[in-house]
Amino acid sequence: MFLAYDPATNPLNTNEWAFPLCECFHLAALAFSIGTISMVDLRLLGAGVTERSAAQLMRDTEVWTLLGLTVVIGSGLAIFSSDPIHYLRNGAFQFKMAGLLVAMIYNYTIHRGIARGNRSAAVTVTAACVSLALWASLVFAGVFIGFI
Amino acid sequence: MTIAAISHWIQSTAWATALRESELMYPLIMSAHMASLGIFGGLIAMTDLRLLGLTMLSTPAQEVIARLRVWKRFGFVIMIGCGILLASSKLDSYYPNPYFQIKMLLLGLVGVHAVMFHRSVYGKNAPATGLPAKAAGALSLLLWTGILSMGRWIAYYETPK
Repeated sequence: MFLAYDPATNPLNTNEWAFPLCECFHLAALAFSIGTISMVDLRLLGAGVTERSAAQLMRDTEVWTLLGLTVVIGSGLAIFSSDPIHYLRNGAFQFKMAGLLVAMIYNYTIHRGIARGNRSAAVTVTAACVSLALWASLVFAGVFIGFI
Repeated sequence: MTIAAISHWIQSTAWATALRESELMYPLIMSAHMASLGIFGGLIAMTDLRLLGLTMLSTPAQEVIARLRVWKRFGFVIMIGCGILLASSKLDSYYPNPYFQIKMLLLGLVGVHAVMFHRSVYGKNAPATGLPAKAAGALSLLLWTGILSMGRWIAYYETPK
């Protein structure tokens, strides 16, 4: 990317509505993605909608999770484009991107496998706690980008 | 006593001052506010989608509401608790902020919404079916999206000089 890119020409920096609107999409999609995953996590902890199995809940929620993740990453890329160099140098942002990669891989491999299989309570509880901690840490890192 | 004086008094309490001046506590509480939005706001969103008939169709909406009730209340308390701390620490600039005022109004409407649909949708043994369920789900989604958006916009208001 050595093309002449000047963030000052980015609509996010020239229109006073564009940036906060992107952030609102980012937050609403965050609620959908993390919220749907945490519904499966609650079930893995043995709580929440116990009428359904964790595998069923994952099927119920996966399209909304994917939609949420797509919008959260899309709006995140837009926010990133408003000042790429500033973000790349930001420690909280670096942590968030590494964490996002780990959380995504975890969610679609280990977490998915455990939600589908018949595992012992120790395994499902651990899987749910790891999942909740991973996604929550991304939110914390996201907030801290603005404070460091 | 005017609202300005009350706001200033709250903001000037020792704990509100400490929070405002803390480089770590303020963003930590804001992060907790946002993480509870993610985790528990998502439970609200999924309940709304169930009420709209968009997911978990083989489980009655009534069951979904009953099972998630305690978790949503728990999350609501954390979210509101952190929100009160954040707003109190900067109340001088928050109370005249129109986005903050709209956010508070919408939160009040969430209360009205809960009472309005208590017997038909949200209460124990409420049927949670048909038009009232769809209306309650759609309104809830709208209200919470509004609350979240106004919350973000609070940061973009500049007090006229």
